[in-house]
Amino acid sequence: MSDPRIERLARVATDYSLEVAEGELVVIQGPALAEPLLVELTRAVLNAGAHPRLRVTVPGVEHAFLSEAADEQLGYLPPFALEELDAIDCRIVVSASANTREMSAIDPAKLRVRSEASKPVMERFMERSAAGDLRWLVTAYPCDAFAQDADLSLPAYEDFVFKAGWLHLDDPVAAWRSFSEKLHLVAERLGEVRELRVVAEGTDLTVGVAGRTWIPADGDRNFPDGEVFTGPEETKTRGEVRFSYPAIFGGREVDDVRLRFEDGRVVASEAASGQDLLREMLAIDEGAAVLGEFAIGTNYNVEQFTKQILFDEKIGGTFHMAVGAGYPETGSTNHSGLHWDMVCDLRDGGEIYADGELIYREGRFAPSFAPDLTPPSS
Amino acid sequence: MLCRYSLDVQRGELVHVGGPASQGLLLVELSREITQLGAHPLIRPTLPSAHELALRVGTKEQLEYISPLEWHETEAPTKFLSVWADTNTRYLSAVPNGNQGVRRAAYQPLRKRIFARLGSGEAQWCGVSMPTEAFAQEAGMAYADFEEFVFGAGHLDDPDPVAAWRAVSERQQKVIDRLDGVAELRFVAEDTDLTVNVAGRTWMNADGHQNFPDGEIYTSPDETATKGHVSFSFDAAYDGHLVEGVRLWFEDGRVVREQARRGESFLREMLEMDDGARLLGEVAFGLNPEIQRATRNIAFDEKIGGTFHVALGAAFPECGGTNESALHWDMVCDLRVGGEVFADGELLMRNGALV
Repeated sequence: MSDPRIERLARVATDYSLEVAEGELVVIQGPALAEPLLVELTRAVLNAGAHPRLRVTVPGVEHAFLSEAADEQLGYLPPFALEELDAIDCRIVVSASANTREMSAIDPAKLRVRSEASKPVMERFMERSAAGDLRWLVTAYPCDAFAQDADLSLPAYEDFVFKAGWLHLDDPVAAWRSFSEKLHLVAERLGEVRELRVVAEGTDLTVGVAGRTWIPADGDRNFPDGEVFTGPEETKTRGEVRFSYPAIFGGREVDDVRLRFEDGRVVASEAASGQDLLREMLAIDEGAAVLGEFAIGTNYNVEQFTKQILFDEKIGGTFHMAVGAGYPETGSTNHSGLHWDMVCDLRDGGEIYADGELIYREGRFAPSFAPDLTPPSS
Repeated sequence: MLCRYSLDVQRGELVHVGGPASQGLLLVELSREITQLGAHPLIRPTLPSAHELALRVGTKEQLEYISPLEWHETEAPTKFLSVWADTNTRYLSAVPNGNQGVRRAAYQPLRKRIFARLGSGEAQWCGVSMPTEAFAQEAGMAYADFEEFVFGAGHLDDPDPVAAWRAVSERQQKVIDRLDGVAELRFVAEDTDLTVNVAGRTWMNADGHQNFPDGEIYTSPDETATKGHVSFSFDAAYDGHLVEGVRLWFEDGRVVREQARRGESFLREMLEMDDGARLLGEVAFGLNPEIQRATRNIAFDEKIGGTFHVALGAAFPECGGTNESALHWDMVCDLRVGGEVFADGELLMRNGALV
């Protein structure tokens, strides 16, 4: 018997997030261990009158390929890779894993060759996405490996995931629609701001956001969702930030990251562990030491850090920023091969000032600035 | 064995592997092996549950829709491997028959294209049967015994399986040599007296390249010449539907009367599928001596040493067959007890063995 929350997740994904329409080609990709969700998504897409096509993975297949592959194989793309992408109307990626450390012993150089080769596909994907021709959604299926990373049992982690998507509610779509309206207001208000200053323990950071667009992330590309983000001005960031949660990159953790910015660039970086990786990544190209994203997590049903960025960056009462590539639709012009999100808790004494005015404290927007974003409890 | 012998995977080839996600360990080893050979693995695990759902609840439009994805993956690979490994042989039993027919008819262009690519030698395909609990259950065997049966049938317990299959190939070639030039084959067994014409048709040596395990020789008979009647010894399963005690009567190549002890209406429905469904697309001899018992799995049953089988529906163009159909349904007849085969009137086989 399948968990009714899985059916609800599938329905929200097709009816609310993607608004799948009759006759559309919808690719659903994910690991076989997410079978219950993959099947419910198939059902939801069929119910919408569209055409689901599954792309299933099994653990070990990609690892075996990467272990054995020579450069010419790593660099190979099937001849139909671009045409296939052009044919798709929607893509749903179900994130789940049998082992989040599966690729830990794979030579990063191999991964670079692979991602270099898939660049044309990635670029076409971004183009079609920006033009609105391809809608996509990243969601997650609760699995043991993610639960383990979150220090939770599977049933407890399932509750966490479904609560994060408000799927315990009878009508999650109504709740998301109402949230979306409020989040649009927040994004509008932030759009009037020229400069934001974030103050918390070990943090006093100023970012310029004048003329940049704030995007309300209301479940259309991630599910669960809940954040507002923009691309800050590339040369304005100054001050210090200390991230309360470990920064995770390719399964590796960097603890207690501290960064100092001057004129938009990181000029000093420290970490309690993984400092070498941190400094290596910040140096991979020109844009890697510049902010590409600044965001405020607004999903108040996500309360704990679980080492899955899909959830962590949405924690209500946090802010996060990414060093590296920015999203062009925000006005960001920063380019980089890196996009590394790091999250900082503001629930314990944190404050945000907008052009000198206090608009956010203790993890909440001031009522004078924005409506309450707490989702309904039942 | 599969990559090096059956498919003979070459550097730079795109190799499509389709099979249930439950065969994870095999899929991983295939990914490793294909990559080691310098080729590009395209591993496509399937979920029977999602497949069943789409067939059961899909509308006509959805059942008939072929996406560009299917076309790309038909055109681009030069090697195809299908892994047969059901976890429940009846998993499609709740799908309305009509739905499968709609899907099968709509997918006919894809199937034709694959057959054309295989027939021209531009691409190669192999279907491999893996031991599963469901197949063992269907065969009425314990899994451990069934596994042994499968590996034995594939000569995988032999110290040098490749050499064993080369020997099989030579042995089967000798049978083909005797059949070359034969125009008429007459099969006589219990409740069976069937005559097919194979003049000018090409016999193929199925020696582990197209199926694994393998062990048969086959051709496509003259579409208009089959006459007589045949009674099949083993249950004939198709798409998860079991049909027992099938008897067919042929005139001028066409089934003119059909009977089944069980599943007769399904049999008739399949025969009504299209024009070619009542004609034979294949006649073949099962020659694998390691396969002695029926397992209600056609991939094994059709290779039982000492049997012959015919398939209703689609023929093999590479054999000279011209029959087209969305159906290809193999049915097996035992020759081991009192069966006789005459080649142009001369006794060729008795009790399942060549004379």
